[in-house]
Amino acid sequence: MTQPATPAKQEGPLLDGGGPRKSTSGDGAGPWSGRLFRPDVRTLSLIGVLVALALIGGVTKPDEFLATSNVQLILTQASVIGVVTVGMTFVITSGGIDLSVGAIVALASVWATTVATQEYGFAGILFTAVIVGVGCGLVNGLLIAYGGMVPFIATLAMLASARGLALQITEGKTQMVSIPSVLDLGERDAYLFGIPPLVLVFAAVTVIGWLVLNRTTFGRRTVAVGGNAEAARLAGIDVRRQRLYLYLLSGLCCGIAAFLLIVLAGSGQNTNGNLYELDAIAAAIIGGTLLSGGRGTITGSVLGVLIFTTITNIFALNNLESATQQIAKGAIIVAAVLVQRRTSHTP
Amino acid sequence: MPETPRLSAAATRRNLLFGAAALSSGAFLTACTSNEPKESTGGQAADAPVADDKPGKPVTIGFAGPQADHGWLNAINVNAKERAKKYKDVTLEITEGSNDTAAQIGQIDTLINKKVDVLVILPADGKAMTQAGLKAMRAGIPVVNLDRIFANPQAYRCWIGGDNFGMGLNAGHYIGEQLKDKKNAKVVELAGLDNLELTKQRTEGFDAALKNYPNIKKVARQAAEFTVESGQAKMAQLLQAQKNFDALWNHDDDQGVGALRAIEQAGRDDFFMVGGAGALSAMQAIESGDSVLKATVLYPPTMAASAIDLARALGQNKGIGGMAEFEIPSSITLYSAVVTKDNLKQYMSTGFK
Amino acid sequence: MAPEPPPLLTMDGITKSFPGVRALDGVDLEVRAGEVHCLLGQNGAGKSTLIKVLAGAHQPDGGAITWRGEHVTLKSPIAAMRLGIATIYQELDLVEGLSVAENVYLGHEPTTAGFVVRGRDARTAAAALLRRLGHTEIDPARLVGELSAAQQQIVSMARALSHDVRLIVMDEPSAALDPDEVANLFRIVADLTAEGVAVVYISHRLEEIRRIGDRVTVLKDGRAVASGLPAESTPTREVVALMTGRDVEYVFPERPAQLPLAEPLLTVRGLTRRGEFAPVDLEVRPGEIVGLAGLVGSGRSEILETVYGARKAEAGQVLVDGRPLKPGSVRAAVRAGLGLAPEERKAQALLMLESITRNVSVSSMSRFSHGGWLDRGAEFKAARRATRELSLKPDLPSAPVRTLSGGNQQKAVLARWLLRGCRVLLLDEPTRGVDVGARAELYAVIRRLADDGLGVLLVSSEVPEVLGLADRVLVLREGHVVHTAPARELDEHRVLDLVMEGSPAS
Repeated sequence: MTQPATPAKQEGPLLDGGGPRKSTSGDGAGPWSGRLFRPDVRTLSLIGVLVALALIGGVTKPDEFLATSNVQLILTQASVIGVVTVGMTFVITSGGIDLSVGAIVALASVWATTVATQEYGFAGILFTAVIVGVGCGLVNGLLIAYGGMVPFIATLAMLASARGLALQITEGKTQMVSIPSVLDLGERDAYLFGIPPLVLVFAAVTVIGWLVLNRTTFGRRTVAVGGNAEAARLAGIDVRRQRLYLYLLSGLCCGIAAFLLIVLAGSGQNTNGNLYELDAIAAAIIGGTLLSGGRGTITGSVLGVLIFTTITNIFALNNLESATQQIAKGAIIVAAVLVQRRTSHTP
Repeated sequence: MPETPRLSAAATRRNLLFGAAALSSGAFLTACTSNEPKESTGGQAADAPVADDKPGKPVTIGFAGPQADHGWLNAINVNAKERAKKYKDVTLEITEGSNDTAAQIGQIDTLINKKVDVLVILPADGKAMTQAGLKAMRAGIPVVNLDRIFANPQAYRCWIGGDNFGMGLNAGHYIGEQLKDKKNAKVVELAGLDNLELTKQRTEGFDAALKNYPNIKKVARQAAEFTVESGQAKMAQLLQAQKNFDALWNHDDDQGVGALRAIEQAGRDDFFMVGGAGALSAMQAIESGDSVLKATVLYPPTMAASAIDLARALGQNKGIGGMAEFEIPSSITLYSAVVTKDNLKQYMSTGFK
Repeated sequence: MAPEPPPLLTMDGITKSFPGVRALDGVDLEVRAGEVHCLLGQNGAGKSTLIKVLAGAHQPDGGAITWRGEHVTLKSPIAAMRLGIATIYQELDLVEGLSVAENVYLGHEPTTAGFVVRGRDARTAAAALLRRLGHTEIDPARLVGELSAAQQQIVSMARALSHDVRLIVMDEPSAALDPDEVANLFRIVADLTAEGVAVVYISHRLEEIRRIGDRVTVLKDGRAVASGLPAESTPTREVVALMTGRDVEYVFPERPAQLPLAEPLLTVRGLTRRGEFAPVDLEVRPGEIVGLAGLVGSGRSEILETVYGARKAEAGQVLVDGRPLKPGSVRAAVRAGLGLAPEERKAQALLMLESITRNVSVSSMSRFSHGGWLDRGAEFKAARRATRELSLKPDLPSAPVRTLSGGNQQKAVLARWLLRGCRVLLLDEPTRGVDVGARAELYAVIRRLADDGLGVLLVSSEVPEVLGLADRVLVLREGHVVHTAPARELDEHRVLDLVMEGSPAS
């Protein structure tokens, strides 16, 4: 018996090299810890769904679906909602919900495309979009973490106010972007090695989101707060500050998404981001993030987004009606959740 | 006919109003002739009092519309306000726009209680708002129903609105004429929100026109949501699905902004595009000639200005010029003109932002 | 009662097991009409399981229940209710948002045509029941949430009486009442028994049992060690002896002969929360285990949580190494070197979806991170060292913590604080839900941690545990420290006397 209880020090006896290894398992740094991507049943089933969809697309429209330009299209269409979903995944993992994401995207996109903002050019638009997103997130976070409001209500209030403000700014008009550098970013000429810049941003947000959730203390705290807020508090985690940061993060993602949408649509409109909240929540949930909190997966969320975008793409390529598309989307949500119930042993 | 005694005992304006109801329903015709104010004059067109720019009897017009969350709807509000400003004898009571039927009913009740002289209503949902129109009419306030029509003709004195079928028809004919010499021509349709009846009407009109051109085939149709974002998304998919086609009809210029963006991003210029509604940005694009947009079919927001004119005429008990009848018609369907580079000048001022 | 009437209820050899625990191990109970039958026993003796079987909330694994001469099975609470068995739980199960009358008739409302509730009839009937209970001041139309605890208990009793009740089970009914209210309760009990209703009465207060009880059954370790003792004449000593005599003697680690003289690690001065505990003073030295003994509701857990900052003190100070802590701040306490292993491990300590490693490292993440970036290799190794230090089994740090047994889950919590380098451990019921075999091991771990220089403040409702493990013991009764002494100068009887009779010895 060494002295395990000396005050915490980096050099404490607990931390220097372990004695002889005699455990049956768990040698090294754990069975999975070295790998970046840990495939589990759920992730594999989502990839399976995606592959099945690709087959359907490939069979029904072989020339159009499998074209490079179509892959570029699917990824581009997934980028805006994908960035929002990454932020949403963090919030849901912490046991919260953010119903205001669509409204924040709308507000940020119109605020960033007013005549006054456009005078400051590319930087002005980007900066405004991000700041408006973060600002809305800050209000959400303060209301929830320090105002003691239920996330559902606080973000619902934000949804209403942000949409209202967006309408007031635009008066219902479409605000065209006249900054060439912003518009160019959405053009084919801006593709890097065939990858649209929007997709690069989406990929970067995904990778950073994955690393933050899985490899940082911030991510760990997020999971702990969502899994058991009381236990997290008694373990010495500042639960309220964590919650504030999480809604800030969601707002930041909305700001980035708003900028992407401005680039994509070449304009800002108060109707932007319509029902993003539902799409983002649905993608996160079918991805495997627990709505009750405590478990979140960025990989799953991104796969969820890609599944939805691919479905939309296949329907459009096959020229199906929007009514059929909506029915199928609903059916797929139900099917995905049921499959997960079957394949996961957790409650 | 329980209404008859009540109505026949009413003031002149209400008689006029009743006459309107008779015109549209026919059944009341005999019951009301004895009260027609102009019956004894023998009916010479020249004698009809016609509304003009000269100030007349002061009229208070109540205006209730949906939330202006869309360029066209905003243009409706602007047109109504500016038209009302033009007349010294018109006071416009305009409510906060709402997309909620219940809220709009409440607003109309308020206007009824304020005893405005005439109501102009653009309902969030025409069918659902029918009762509100009926209530106003029963309270003796003539209603000008703008665009989205009530389910019951008794709910308005006069309906004025666009022609969704005609819009599709004219778009189809324009495209048909452009492509009539081309073999196996293909067209694509980017429709509006599929939940709305007007979208179906536009598509029906379009299809009806294309039947006249057996060489043209509609190869794809996708519905967007009248928003820039959805226009971009759906157009991008359509472009991916259809590697070559000759013409595109887009139902709405607002979503057309997104559609044009998608076309630009895809680098396509192998077809021409016809828009819908008549937004300023669309007209400017047609004028510049360097985009695929070659024409747009009007769904004129100026109808709101006309509605104010009609309301003023109703309030002042006058007819409208250029017609033989004493009374203003019970129903006015506007023509959906095709705006091209050739006739653009004349429409530019009606383009909305 | 001259001729012996047949018993109203006979429970014969009732057994009931939960995973890892045999809660009832062949209990016999006999209740006669019109008597007050008292159930006594320490925490964990099986009282609450027994009354839940009686209420139909638990199904027994074995044994027979005879009710008025007929063999019955109590399939559900409704089935028990229909037979005339009503239970008033300690945690009142009333709906606060409904009125008194609505609560009384919840589930069997007087109706017209089967579904239209006749509210006026319910109120009239409820008023009659309240009059019978001597509480005319309670308006049947008032919301239950607006009533005092004592009044709520009356409502609960009225609800029991709204059925054609022959047996009422009362689980510590006097715990939340002041003396006047207790007197009224006794009067009600007397009235009920006079009408021939039997009462099964659970209380820790021997004085109450003497006053109203007819007969006593003592439970210990899931068995009835004595049945039908006369309540008035059985000496306290005998009752306590019956309650404490054990089949399994716990093996406690040896205490150090002498504690090193050192400045206290933890000092608590005048710590107060009104309604929970009176000003408390205590000290914990390095290497010392200080035990707080007391019943549920004596304020022991509340004291621990207030020391930890999870509840905010109204007055008083907590000092670690002589430096005062910011009141009401868990983070300040953790930073100063306190660590809590709370009573409800699953609800308050563990992240059930997470691995052992992550549960252990959650309070020390900054040690394995550089700028927020986790070094998972270092985290894994350190967590594994801590869990091995405590012989946590299985030695699979990546396994989900929910797959561990109770004792090993507790070890995971201890490992968390060990890894954090905590100086003072606050242990609230550390062996709750831990089976008997694993307890000795846990005791050894706790003692070893103390031997390594930690201070330990231990709360337990199991008196032998406090006496066996602690160096010094504070006895609590209703929020007051009634006695302080070295553990070796106390025995179980003395402590039970103190907590139950409450005669202050110091």
